[in-house]
Amino acid sequence: MLMTAIDGKQVVQPLSPPILRTRNLTVRFDEFPAVHGVNLDVADGELRVVIGANGAGKSTLLDLLCGKTLPSEGEVWLRDENITSIGEAAIARSGIGRKFQTPTVFKEMTVLENLQVASNRRVRVFENLFQRISARANDKEVAVAERTGLLDSLNRKASELSHGQLQWLELAMVLSQEPKIILLDEPAAGMTAAETDKTAGLLLDLAGDHTVLVIEHDMAFVRQICRTITVMHQGSVLAEGTAEEIEHNPAVIEAYLGSATLSHA
Amino acid sequence: MRMMEERMTYRTASLVAYVAFFALLMVLPFFLNSFWTNRMATYLVYSICALGISMSWGYAGILSLGQGLFFGMGAYMLAMSLTLADPGNNPVPELMLLNMEPDAVRDLCCVTTGSFLWIPFRWVIVGILAGILVPCILAAVIGYVMFKRRTTGVYVSIITLAFALIGQLLIINNQPLTGGFNGLASLASLEIFGFEFDPYGPSIYYLVTLTLLAVILLARYLLSGRVGQVLKAIREDEARARYLGYDVENYKLFIFCVSAGVAGLAGMLFTLTSEFAAPSLMATSFSISMVIWAATGGRASLLGACIGALLVNFIGSLASESATFQPVWPIILGGLFVFVVLVMPNGIAGIFKDFFDRRSAPRTVEGR
Ligand SMILES: Nc1ncnc2c1ncn2[C@@H]1O[C@H](COP(=O)(O)OP(=O)(O)O)[C@@H](O)[C@H]1O
Ligand SMILES: [Mg+2]
Repeated sequence: MLMTAIDGKQVVQPLSPPILRTRNLTVRFDEFPAVHGVNLDVADGELRVVIGANGAGKSTLLDLLCGKTLPSEGEVWLRDENITSIGEAAIARSGIGRKFQTPTVFKEMTVLENLQVASNRRVRVFENLFQRISARANDKEVAVAERTGLLDSLNRKASELSHGQLQWLELAMVLSQEPKIILLDEPAAGMTAAETDKTAGLLLDLAGDHTVLVIEHDMAFVRQICRTITVMHQGSVLAEGTAEEIEHNPAVIEAYLGSATLSHA
Repeated sequence: MRMMEERMTYRTASLVAYVAFFALLMVLPFFLNSFWTNRMATYLVYSICALGISMSWGYAGILSLGQGLFFGMGAYMLAMSLTLADPGNNPVPELMLLNMEPDAVRDLCCVTTGSFLWIPFRWVIVGILAGILVPCILAAVIGYVMFKRRTTGVYVSIITLAFALIGQLLIINNQPLTGGFNGLASLASLEIFGFEFDPYGPSIYYLVTLTLLAVILLARYLLSGRVGQVLKAIREDEARARYLGYDVENYKLFIFCVSAGVAGLAGMLFTLTSEFAAPSLMATSFSISMVIWAATGGRASLLGACIGALLVNFIGSLASESATFQPVWPIILGGLFVFVVLVMPNGIAGIFKDFFDRRSAPRTVEGR
């Protein structure tokens, strides 16, 4: 891994320059600043957790990163490329994959078809005119399906899957994209304890090869991952550090005093 | 494994349906008089229209209510060439003589304002090419405006409908150039390499049938491949497709243009079977009829859409011969659309597919 956790104090040691940076990222909805002046530096291969109460602006932050929402102010940089307003598709092509809070997949298509659409690296119309589609999964698709427990469901329609399986399917689609940066919005929501464990394991596994930015407000899950945490509060970054540091940070304690999000230790 | 076998059965059944359908079409003229041969040829032209609708609506979720514009443009382009090919329209079409200034030179260059636009149509090949290209280019412009602004759903329908009305008005209001309300009706027969196509003979019927076959095969090839898969994904959730890196607008623009080209092709063939082109082809009611044909047969099925067009028009023509049904036919057609949308959203082809799905479903459960 690209960071060293020595003791409670000095945690984040990005060995490589940040792959993802935001500068003064701000968006207002009718004057209401949902995200306000966020400066984020995420190192290559890092696994970053973003936590915060409901409405803190976590999902909106991801919306800004993947182009779903245009910022009112500020910039998003992917290495040395300003990707702030290049459009969702171009952002995706430059290497950012997004999993949404409520799973969004192609419901009337089979699991395999979903993966095929996601893994296809030829995205232009005329490149695809003569491309045929295989009825069977190729090695990569099998590998992704295996990793996400969908191997037995390849030929099932997505609409027939359970909520937990839909979460896995969307994750599998994002993995098929082979993005440099993976944005995950509450991936463990609606999962059983065992599935949550598996998700945590998968995220740890992905970090390093990919840079992962994950939103989660289940502290047990966060501790399991045990990486740098960014705390958001009312649209701004309140604190950044390890789980240990965050839990003892006075500002965080004040903001969350008594709230279930952090207190049940 | 069971499921695979059953899927194969459905595929085999589809193949059988395709072969049977075209085999029937090939032998049909032997049993029809010239009037019905011509009628059937026209209905098959409508099938090509329905194919175009199926491609954009059924596969990509783009419901164009302006297909009549593309159909009409196709019809006019070829009709212009066939007008000039008619000896009675030498050196300039009669419609221009009726509308020219008294002292104008009797030449296409300047007999009426804009009449020079007709000059290239002296060559039939120009009319034929323009019959496909002009609708495509029109669709590209309209589609670009719509899709780059991320217009979706019912707004696409309204905008396309509005453009068709504009087109119709432009043609009606430019009588010296277009023949206005009466359209173009004194046409020569199409002659290619010395062979003359007779609207009431089997030659045009087979021309239409073979064109239909070619279009359906090309459409199947295109839509069963990667482009079709991506379009299906866009229909399901276009935002998701964007986050996977696809330029959704370009895919929509592409299929919208292809669908317009198919409508233009159908329009040209219509000119051949019906021997006229008129602004009524761009009327809203006609564009909506095309959608009803495709919906009845099954918008997500190419063959279904074809059969839908044949069936609705065949029944319509029977109704028009009965004094009781003729006046209420538009109401029946409207009722049919409501019925199809509410009760069988996938049309006749949907029933066909459900039959196979239902047969395979219980066994799959056992097999697991
Ligand atoms: N499109 C939008 N229009 C108006 N307000 C929005 C929009 N998206 C988010 N918000 C508001 O921004 C705030 C942050 O929302 P969100 O990012 O979803 O929070 P979180 O994911 O941290 O729970 C909320 O108060 C929400 O109501
Ligand atoms: Mg959220």
